[in-house]
Amino acid sequence: MNTQQPQRSDKELWRSLAIQPPVAPVSTPIAVSEVDLAAWLEGRLTEEAAGPVEAAVAADPALRRAALDLADILGKPLPAAPERMVVRARALVGFEAERKISSGGLIGRWLFGRSWHALQQGAMAVVAVVIATGGFVVGGGLSESLARQGEGYSATETASTTNTASNEVSEFFAGDGI
Amino acid sequence: MGVAELNQIDLRALTRGDKRTWDAFVIAAAPLINAVVRRTLSAYRLSEDDVMDAAQDVFVRLCAQDFRLLKSYDPARAGLPTWLSVVSRSCAIDHLRRRRQATEPIDDVPEAFLGVEDRHIEKLRIPDGLLTARQILVLKYLYDEERDVMEIARLLSVDAQTIRSTHHKALLRLRAHFRDDRPDGGG
Repeated sequence: MNTQQPQRSDKELWRSLAIQPPVAPVSTPIAVSEVDLAAWLEGRLTEEAAGPVEAAVAADPALRRAALDLADILGKPLPAAPERMVVRARALVGFEAERKISSGGLIGRWLFGRSWHALQQGAMAVVAVVIATGGFVVGGGLSESLARQGEGYSATETASTTNTASNEVSEFFAGDGI
Repeated sequence: MGVAELNQIDLRALTRGDKRTWDAFVIAAAPLINAVVRRTLSAYRLSEDDVMDAAQDVFVRLCAQDFRLLKSYDPARAGLPTWLSVVSRSCAIDHLRRRRQATEPIDDVPEAFLGVEDRHIEKLRIPDGLLTARQILVLKYLYDEERDVMEIARLLSVDAQTIRSTHHKALLRLRAHFRDDRPDGGG
């Protein structure tokens, strides 16, 4: 089979056309969808459907190279992927049970839909309440505290009454010049 | 498992988020995604970590938003391996673009990327309708990229003789057209 490259003169003609200044603006490359490009690479498109894809590929040097690269890759056996790549990719999707727990229905979404900062604040508040309650219970609770406060109040009141009486006796003697 | 096994993946289970199907899909798809990402990034001298991240981007894109991209795949239009290779290439290019947005040492940029593009090659003044899209594509592969006839034939799923015939007909049309229409009157 003859696989010779075309004649030099043909190439010269093609390149001589290339150096002509364009008289009309060069049309912008046509966007081609991923599925259309894939279908074209597999030769599944009709001649009519393949036209726009081929025009897009012809107009874009990167796409021309990509088409050849992909055809080459798809046409031969591939080396195994690194284990790290496989492990990372597998971790993207969890087991059903994990996903149910993580979603957790409406309440779960309400709870876990909040920001992590809000969760931290909530946890801190709970810890603070536990510590305060624990300290309060260890300290004897409200009744003991009130009882102590009551005792203190009676003692003060008695002392205060005594002081008043002694003041009155002193004034009595002072008033008589004693 | 390999590319052939990709066609045996239960797409419904996959897009439902079934863990076992996803794991089987990853094992079957990883060699292809790895190869495409490496080939796409090969000109840019990126690290192994970049290849890993770009490949991970492909998998993330496939399962993101409740497998939206995978759900959009239509087996009637293209085979899963081919579609996946095109998606992988797009993701690798997106990864490259994002990475290039950060400051990059000029030594890391391929020379071809910095060079001034030979625009005259891309601005052929060929009248609309003179050549078919396939004829232009064949001429560009042959002359602008100096690709082998067999390579082009493989890409277009035709035999080498068809490529030679397409080339011959295109040249006949060009010669016939420019013999009469050259602006310098040179025939």
